[in-house]
Amino acid sequence: MLTVLISATLMSGCEKFLDINPQYTQDAENFFESPEDYERALIGAYDLLQSSFLNVWIGEIASDNSIAGGESVTDTEGLHEIDNMSHDAVNQELRNIFRWNYAGITRANYILENKDNIDFEGKDAILAQARFLRAYYYFQLVKYFGDVPLVVDRRLGSAKVREIPRTPAADVYAQIEIDLRSAADVLDWASMEKGRITKGAALSLLGKVLLYQENFTDASTVLDRVIQEGPYQLFDSFPSLFFVENENSSESVFSVEYTGAEGGSYECLICLEGNAAPGFHGIRQYNGPVYGDGNSYNMPTQDLYDAFEEGDIRREATLLDIDAFIAGLPNPSGITYAKGAGGHTGYYNNKYIKRQGEIGLPDNDLTSPVNYRVIRYADVLLMAAEAFNRRSNPDDGKALTYLNDVRDRVDMVPLSASGSELTELIWKERRLELSGEGHRFFDLVRTRKAVEEIEGFQEEKHELFPIPQIEIDLAGGNWKQNNNY
Amino acid sequence: MRTLISLILGIVLLQVQVLAQTVSGKVTDAEGQALIGAAVIEKGTSNGVLTDLDGSYSIKVSNAQTSVLQFSYTGFKTQDKEVNGQSTLNIVLVEEAEAMNEVIVVGYGKSTKKEFTGASSNIKGRNLEKISTPRIDQALQGQISGVNISTNSGSPGGSSSIRIRGLSTFGDNDPLILVDGVIYDSEGLNSLNPSDIETINVLKDATAGIYGVRAANGVILITTKQGSKNSKPKFEVNMYQGVQQPAKQLALLNASEYAVIKNEMFANGNDPLPFQNTFLGEGTDWQNEVFTNAPVSNINFTASGGTQNMTYSVGGSYYSQDGIVGGSKANFERLNARMNFNVDMSDKLRLRSVFLYSNETRNVLPENGIGSVLYNTINAFPTEAVQDTNGNYSYLEEVSDIINPIAQMENTYNTAWVNKFVGKEEVEYDLRPNLTFTNRFSYNYALVDNKVFSPLVWYGPGKAQNTAKNADLEPTQVEIATGTLIDRGASVYEGRNTYSDLTFESFLNHEKTFANVHQLKTTVGISVFGRNGQGLGGTAYNIPGNSEEYADISANLAPGGFLNNTNSFQYRERLLSAFLRANYRFSGKWTTSAILRRDGSSKFGPNNRYGLFPTVSGSWVLSEEKFYHLNYIKFMKLRMSYGISGNDQIDNFAYRGLLNGEGVYVFDDVITNGVAIGRASNPDLKWETTRQFNLGLDMKMWAWFDITLNYFVKNTRDLLFQPDVSGVLGTGGPGSSAPIINAGDVQNSGVEMELVFTTPSDKDWKISTGLNATYLKNIVKKTPDGVDFLPGAAFGVGGNIATRFQEGFPIGYFIGYETDGIFQTQAEIDASETVQEGAKPGDLKFVDQNGDGKISFSDDSDLKMIGSPIPDFTFGLFLTANWKDFDLSANLFAAVGQEIIRNYERQQPFANQLSYVIDRWNFPGSSNEVPRVTTDLTRNNVFSDYFVEDGSFVRLRNIQIGYTFRKVKKLNSVRLYVAANNLFTITNYRGYDPDIGSVGGALGSGVDLGFYPQARTYMSGLIVKF
Repeated sequence: MLTVLISATLMSGCEKFLDINPQYTQDAENFFESPEDYERALIGAYDLLQSSFLNVWIGEIASDNSIAGGESVTDTEGLHEIDNMSHDAVNQELRNIFRWNYAGITRANYILENKDNIDFEGKDAILAQARFLRAYYYFQLVKYFGDVPLVVDRRLGSAKVREIPRTPAADVYAQIEIDLRSAADVLDWASMEKGRITKGAALSLLGKVLLYQENFTDASTVLDRVIQEGPYQLFDSFPSLFFVENENSSESVFSVEYTGAEGGSYECLICLEGNAAPGFHGIRQYNGPVYGDGNSYNMPTQDLYDAFEEGDIRREATLLDIDAFIAGLPNPSGITYAKGAGGHTGYYNNKYIKRQGEIGLPDNDLTSPVNYRVIRYADVLLMAAEAFNRRSNPDDGKALTYLNDVRDRVDMVPLSASGSELTELIWKERRLELSGEGHRFFDLVRTRKAVEEIEGFQEEKHELFPIPQIEIDLAGGNWKQNNNY
Repeated sequence: MRTLISLILGIVLLQVQVLAQTVSGKVTDAEGQALIGAAVIEKGTSNGVLTDLDGSYSIKVSNAQTSVLQFSYTGFKTQDKEVNGQSTLNIVLVEEAEAMNEVIVVGYGKSTKKEFTGASSNIKGRNLEKISTPRIDQALQGQISGVNISTNSGSPGGSSSIRIRGLSTFGDNDPLILVDGVIYDSEGLNSLNPSDIETINVLKDATAGIYGVRAANGVILITTKQGSKNSKPKFEVNMYQGVQQPAKQLALLNASEYAVIKNEMFANGNDPLPFQNTFLGEGTDWQNEVFTNAPVSNINFTASGGTQNMTYSVGGSYYSQDGIVGGSKANFERLNARMNFNVDMSDKLRLRSVFLYSNETRNVLPENGIGSVLYNTINAFPTEAVQDTNGNYSYLEEVSDIINPIAQMENTYNTAWVNKFVGKEEVEYDLRPNLTFTNRFSYNYALVDNKVFSPLVWYGPGKAQNTAKNADLEPTQVEIATGTLIDRGASVYEGRNTYSDLTFESFLNHEKTFANVHQLKTTVGISVFGRNGQGLGGTAYNIPGNSEEYADISANLAPGGFLNNTNSFQYRERLLSAFLRANYRFSGKWTTSAILRRDGSSKFGPNNRYGLFPTVSGSWVLSEEKFYHLNYIKFMKLRMSYGISGNDQIDNFAYRGLLNGEGVYVFDDVITNGVAIGRASNPDLKWETTRQFNLGLDMKMWAWFDITLNYFVKNTRDLLFQPDVSGVLGTGGPGSSAPIINAGDVQNSGVEMELVFTTPSDKDWKISTGLNATYLKNIVKKTPDGVDFLPGAAFGVGGNIATRFQEGFPIGYFIGYETDGIFQTQAEIDASETVQEGAKPGDLKFVDQNGDGKISFSDDSDLKMIGSPIPDFTFGLFLTANWKDFDLSANLFAAVGQEIIRNYERQQPFANQLSYVIDRWNFPGSSNEVPRVTTDLTRNNVFSDYFVEDGSFVRLRNIQIGYTFRKVKKLNSVRLYVAANNLFTITNYRGYDPDIGSVGGALGSGVDLGFYPQARTYMSGLIVKF
């Protein structure tokens, strides 16, 4: 009886005994109480930019520019399927694209949801960056999947997510434009810190988004503003443009920042602070100078090699012809490398590749410090050229100027054309200038060239990737799959 | 008158004195040890004495002819002996090993086998000690039905998985382990010396529910050795020395075979041949280089005894074991001290005190994974010498993730030290003769230190394990600010973690018999439990001299400490409980028992903080009924139990959404930390609930055959799941994850049998044999809505998911392609009804499961269950035989019906292979089992039943032969013995060791990634008692 009484007392009286809080960490629901909280949450939203290595892979491998490569055909099988245009709704890489971009969106929304908690100086700049990031992540999603659920300024619960429909791509684009315009209004051209988003980044991305919607008039206005008002210039040396030492140069409009100062492992690629692409693109079992060894992924094709004119320095800067390179070294017989069983073309991606002196901490196949140049000024010029050329009242003069600016940097003769002939030249120039950077597949789709250029590409199907089946199931099974998947 | 009376009295007395007689003698046990304090009673009278310190007694009996003396002693069979005119009676009492009246510990109280209503298995410490292993989980393997123990690692100090009645969750399946009532976690079992154990009782069914929210995986109650009252000090020294050797080596290709196979492989891929000359002899046998014979030694000392008011038992031991891989680099060393001390402070007040201390040192090498020493050993090329002519370790350059295993062992410095203090103070007070009030305070404090030294090493170009920049061991450099580079030299990690538990328990035990036939036993009490853990760790760089000699954070030379980094953690958890058990027994035949426990746990949110766990059970001793007349079945009892228990083994604060995700970006070339939401919250989170039904039968046939049978069904509901959730929720970011929810059901059902045969022991021969067998069926009944399955372990490097948690299948079953031989010719491929993309002659032929006429490689439609890591049957067999002073014991364990994934082969052109590839397909008709070798694109390496092997095995775990010398000089006895562990294993499994536990959680079972095998050990030992 005594014990019963004691226990009854204890059980009721000691509710407090069980009500303990985790120490030294904050609860997600009681945050945003100081400016620092906003800043820290913003860093969390930036983090997902570092998933860009997937963009470099898929944007190239899906196109005519490169093959998947790697150790075997079952090594990162999703990329091989994309390479063969045999991909379907079960694909880990596509699922990562879906999940990682939504993670970025959710982190940006977390800030914007709490935007009115407190006021402080500098809040606008933080919110502007959050809006930019949200727009960037949504743009990735519409590029890959078309219609995607649009969630703005709020986070969903598990019940809500089962009711949410796919929002038409046009509405998603509309939100992207709102966010980018609003970010561009607030941000400055110059950035106080390397890696911060600037007005130029916001306007250039807006220009690209408009171009993807074929709103050439607005695109030309926005992009021209970047060219006229922005601080950008083409960097002199194209071959060394992608070196670490030339990061954040005058040509850099928007880059994803990486460092080699933190190690990493294959267990969690999204946790890396380094760029996984250069190591994956590296030469398999390579034992020699200049480059480091890697995993022989994303190998450029002969077709890309042949696209360059003789004498275009961009050919060597874009493709590494491994056998020719070794043959040109002082002691070629002592230098070895291996071919992966996932396919071999003889060429490696020479823009994003593991180089001696640009090697991060172990596992250094994953921790390259090389930044991913999302938007370079050359891209801005070519986009502007295309916009001026294709808009309802074309300005082919301006288009040609911008096109030839790009050619001039690599000492290629200026071109002269107009109308659709010029359009073709601009598109060709895009491939020569931007190959290996993850743009090609989306450019081919956007310009309706994919079916001509990509083997196995089916119209009315492969313009979009399938929504991962498991994501359809997890969202309640109500979404209609993209056409013909 | 007075004279007359005296006379008559005198005559009567005289008469009495003629009939009466003094009987004296000695009471000993079978080994001749004096039994002190044994009761000697003249039957039918109240006349009785106790034996003294020599076991001697002297008693006057009323009739020299007809009096019967009864000798009894706790734990021994009571013996009656007619005096029959003798004046000296020396009695040998026989231990009551399997007797029904043996006391068993059942949690907050005691019971006897006869009256206990639950399913439990009891085992004596001395049976475990004979196995001569440092951990009790290893010793328990095959000893108890329904308890499957599989080895997680054969390395010294490696742990085992203890699974009581199957896997019921993919979360934590470890049972609750209590040592003298103090919580021990299964990983911490290293610090418990098996020699300190008196008995182990395993509660397998719902009667474990007295432990409520922690009881779902079963409860193991360990009792350490105690002294006995009124006994002289007894000393025992047990020491053994042994040598361990690898029990098996894999059949790998030698250099010539390797060269031939690789040439063929490259030729088939239209690549240039790597070997011009294939006559390369045997080459390097990497296994010979890596495996070594390793010593093991143990010395153990115990002393016990007692006086009228107190008992004591103290023990100390030293154990040291090197590894068969790595030798001293895998050494495990342990020092133990134990003290049990019980005092009767007054007639009513008793103090029980236990103190256990251990100090362990363990060195570990990378094991069971890509990059482990054995993984490298298996895959290293036989054509490459261990060292080149200059004495440098070879690079094995052609496969970037295979490094020289000898160099690897040499450069690994990973040591953990554990100091652990466990104890309890318990005060028992008799409020009334039948009402006892117990207050128990127990503690468990562990200090775990860890040091990992990483010297600058160069394993060869492109190796991920390199810490140096080049072969000259130059350090790599790190940019700490724009343009500022500093060296990153040898590093040392040091961690210092402390864990402490405090438990206070207070309970009343009441026992009363009404009207002789109604016996009521009640236990009611409370328990308060708190646990804290905290740790501090740090890594420092630029250790001088690249040498372990200076491997301490304090010695680092990193400029400005730029590279050094630190981390810390802390957690708290609390449990508040009340419990009630009522046991009603009618005329010794019918027993019913009810248990109710209420737990409040800080692991769960306010919405589901408290849980109620009821159990009912009953038993019926048929053999005590009047109508019962089966003479050959001396004892028969039916048992039944049903109850609910819980499993709360999840992370603390899992119900809350915390800002502990990873939000890190690089600004101005510097890593900048932000925040992100970690795991999403679920305020409704609760424990997993297990409902278990048990039907049991205990029988004793004749005097020598004991049978225990159990049938059980165990349904676990509300499994703590962290299922995939829609990516739209944003949980795909680094450090973020889906909320933990309660969803999913698992069922385990099975039959257990324990048989023990004991021959009568009076003669020279004494033989005891036991057999236990378990049949278990495990099936997942439900997965959360929208989740078809939970993925488990991957096959190969970047390969398919090979194990799953899926409705309708066992936990962690293997899923892959089914093969149907090998395509022999192109014509066969062309004629095949099934299109298998890319197939060539010599490739594995996959089975089209969905009948759509093609093999789909990009979805699940042609996948099939191709194995399960869970054995259908497990068996244990033990034999002990004594002939005069010789003794023999043996212990056999078998597991049948499980499969293992052969996942230690690196699927790379230059990696070495097992010699079965010699029988590969190389022309039509050459093989229908082993596919062609090629560097070409092939699907032969996708996960299929080609990589799944039968994991069934029978193993002689221990055999021991001894001889005991009695009364050697002043010594009581000296036993010499020789023993062997793991003498033979019968199995078809190709890998090192089929006894594979789980490294990657419940879904990683049965995946062999270069498992550290158990050694074969030969030992000789000595036990001295005095």
